[in-house]
Amino acid sequence: MRDLKHFLFFEELVCSSNNDLVRKAKEQGRVCAAFVCENTPEPLFNLKGCFGVRLTAPNTGSTDIANYYMTSLLCETSRALLERAIEGGYNFADCIIAPDGCTMMNRCIENMELARAVESGSDAFFYEHMEIPMKTDENGVALLVRQCRNHILTPLNRTYGIDISDEAMREAVRSHNEVCDLIRQIGEFRKADKPAITGYEFSVIVLATYVCPKDLLVEPLRETLEELKTREPDEKGYRARLLVVGAEMDDPEFIRLIEECGAYVCADRYCFGSFPGREPIELTEGEDVLTQICRHYTYQCQCPRQMNMDKVYARKAYVDALAKEYGADGILYNQIKFCDPWAYERVTGAATLREEYGYPVLSVDRPYNIHSSAGQMRTRVQAFVESIEVKKLREAR
Amino acid sequence: MDTVKNTKNIPGDQQLGVLYNDGKVRRRREWRGFKDTMYDFGQWLHLWKIMLGVSLSKGFFKGLFRYRWMINYLAVPHMIDKFTIGQRDETLRITHTAIGYVVKDVAVTIKRCLRGDTRCGNDKAFSDKCVLVDENAMVSYLMGFPGLTVVQREVPPMFSANLINQNSAVHYIDVAQTYGIPGDVCPMPETEAGISIDDDFVVMGKCAVQVNTTCDGSMLGNSIIAKRLEKEYGIPAYQMASPLRHRNEDVQDYAAEEIKGAIRFIEEQTGEKWDWKAYFECAHRVNMTTRARLEWLDINSTPYPQFFGAVFSLYNDTNYLGNCGRSTEFPLIDQKIMQLVHKGYERRTMMGQEYRHRCMVWGVQPQYVIDMLYWMVLCWGVVPLTDMLSMVIEREIAETDTPENREQAYYDMAYLSENMIMRNHTHGGYETMVNELWEYCERMNADMVMMWEHMSCKSLVAMHGQFEEQARERGIHLVWVSHDLCDPRVYSRSAIRGQFSQYMRAVMQEEPLDPTIEELPDDLAW
Repeated sequence: MRDLKHFLFFEELVCSSNNDLVRKAKEQGRVCAAFVCENTPEPLFNLKGCFGVRLTAPNTGSTDIANYYMTSLLCETSRALLERAIEGGYNFADCIIAPDGCTMMNRCIENMELARAVESGSDAFFYEHMEIPMKTDENGVALLVRQCRNHILTPLNRTYGIDISDEAMREAVRSHNEVCDLIRQIGEFRKADKPAITGYEFSVIVLATYVCPKDLLVEPLRETLEELKTREPDEKGYRARLLVVGAEMDDPEFIRLIEECGAYVCADRYCFGSFPGREPIELTEGEDVLTQICRHYTYQCQCPRQMNMDKVYARKAYVDALAKEYGADGILYNQIKFCDPWAYERVTGAATLREEYGYPVLSVDRPYNIHSSAGQMRTRVQAFVESIEVKKLREAR
Repeated sequence: MDTVKNTKNIPGDQQLGVLYNDGKVRRRREWRGFKDTMYDFGQWLHLWKIMLGVSLSKGFFKGLFRYRWMINYLAVPHMIDKFTIGQRDETLRITHTAIGYVVKDVAVTIKRCLRGDTRCGNDKAFSDKCVLVDENAMVSYLMGFPGLTVVQREVPPMFSANLINQNSAVHYIDVAQTYGIPGDVCPMPETEAGISIDDDFVVMGKCAVQVNTTCDGSMLGNSIIAKRLEKEYGIPAYQMASPLRHRNEDVQDYAAEEIKGAIRFIEEQTGEKWDWKAYFECAHRVNMTTRARLEWLDINSTPYPQFFGAVFSLYNDTNYLGNCGRSTEFPLIDQKIMQLVHKGYERRTMMGQEYRHRCMVWGVQPQYVIDMLYWMVLCWGVVPLTDMLSMVIEREIAETDTPENREQAYYDMAYLSENMIMRNHTHGGYETMVNELWEYCERMNADMVMMWEHMSCKSLVAMHGQFEEQARERGIHLVWVSHDLCDPRVYSRSAIRGQFSQYMRAVMQEEPLDPTIEELPDDLAW
């Protein structure tokens, strides 16, 4: 296929946390609120005068210093983020706000705080740690409302004078939804038999929306959407359509590796993917905006830390629904090595989707940077793709 | 610190290494002088009486042949010997009193499990009055249900079995890993998941309540257990969340609502009604326990600590978690121990020849499986003043039945759950994990920290560098001792002890008090 006009631009954005758009927004005098975890309500960081950047550590090599602080037994994402912070990679941030989502991410940010790893050069810089619900219910919504007020809104307003009124939040949600709508429309192209966008391209574009000021991305996204409408798909087909499910995955190279094996990544249910992170937030007039935002994040959450059993079953049903909608031939469950929540979710999810829903499932753990162990992963994905092909041939007979 | 020497004559065996060989049990029983040996022997007989009582209970023989974990309990006497090594006088009696009651409590749990189990006793009427809870749950939300029986279904196959036989969990870990769960998660919830996958839990109870204590692994492992309970056996399970940043004021309403949800669920499932009178009676007993424990800790902060070691922690576990004020017997045991502690303190009774260092034991501990804490005293003169798991409830809860206290009670129950053993320090931010350690060191006059580095406990190992740096700043000796909890294939007993000995020799440049036990041939022992 012909290259997308803005694709190089998107690729460059995801190659550095302190990317061009972050620098541009900072030059405009906006406050940068860095955060981690998909369970943190994103629109609250995109209030007027402020923008959110979800922390990533692209092209991570060694994590030696982080290994000293956290040992080599912690998930590589948390170690990579700490290493990058110590290297000075997040000095552009004006605050870091982290939920106590999983233990390791929580400890990662605590280590940054204790080691004074982020040197923003401003006395106003602050850390906030917040509790997030562990169940999908109204008690959880009430908790999240309190936490967002105490650990996001009040500190941003008190420290940087950010407007945290209902109107400001409503505007932030509108802007958030605009990006979500564009992403969802772009994602729809993946449903076609001959898609006009590759899974890799889509993963880069989606990732960019997590690590950049969103308003500065709207135009390139809109133009990309228009371009896709007339883009000629490749004649060369793919061998299998895969749905990728997993946790924090900010490495589009992993998707590229899968597609190099002849598969097509038709849907993405992982924490930097479009499901559920790019589902628009519907607001009504009858209730305060913060509660509605928190309800959206509590109920749409697909994180394994949500422990109520109806949600445990619903997570598998959600994957099944996505697989059906996007015509997936198989499902690839992945976890980052040493991640506890996904160690269990990957296994139970893989078993359920295989045994109860009848999908071919590949269940793998992976490093933070896929290039550190690409050969092993390639072999496993190739074998999986082949097994799906064989299954299709058998069914055809 | 100044060395405290034992001026009393220690009768009986002095060189304890003579007791060990490469076998499953010791070469012979320890000679403690006539009086203490007779006392120890009496306790040994009493233990067999308890075990005989279990063997006569309903469903015992079916259970013995159905469940592979049952056979571990033949080794209970060996466990007691492990925890009483080298002890004389009051310390021996304190340990026997505490562990004796722990054994009794586990025996009762096993009896209940076998009685209600559909495969063994199959007593349906009894089973319908039982609520299943996690082995690591603080059962505060059951304090007002005197008509219900709490069954910690995971204790007999996992927790207590592993106290008795270090290899008890290995089979279930393998089952879980064969199913696909990675080997890097904590082996404790992994074992529990493995037991469920192997269908080796008893099947009983009207309903189950699960909690998110103690860690991510434990919380996620519960979903495997709950699925089998619900889908195969029709036993509904409720998941009660306890906040992670539990010291924050702005999470307490959430926690209290979760307690209310659990109580509502139990009422709906069992038909029982919450009884405030029973609740406040339990609350009174919980406060008695808290007062007793704090007093023991006060005495441990003096040069003559009395109640410490693995049994101190085990007794607290049993008293707070599965009991939580429901038993009327525990306060009596507390009192009995208190009398012995006071007597021992007045007589300046010591556990070994001398105390060279005062040590806080921190981290997630395997000390139930190994006689490490007693060995530290006897071999190196390092006295383990207290451990992380024993530093739990610090304040008393409302115990008078008033309208205000009934509302406060939900917050108190939440407080008990949030500060459940272990999770009150592994959650709550670095303040509870790191900062409080140094506060305790000061309070207990400790000059050393023995840091259990449970390699699969992500919450703990993630603070490795901070512990290192802050201990150095404070001039506290920090001894790292790695292990993998209930999987002895990763770190054997001798490998665990070896790390401590290496530090004592290389850094402290000290010689052992009893060189015959520096290296013990007990890797194959139960």
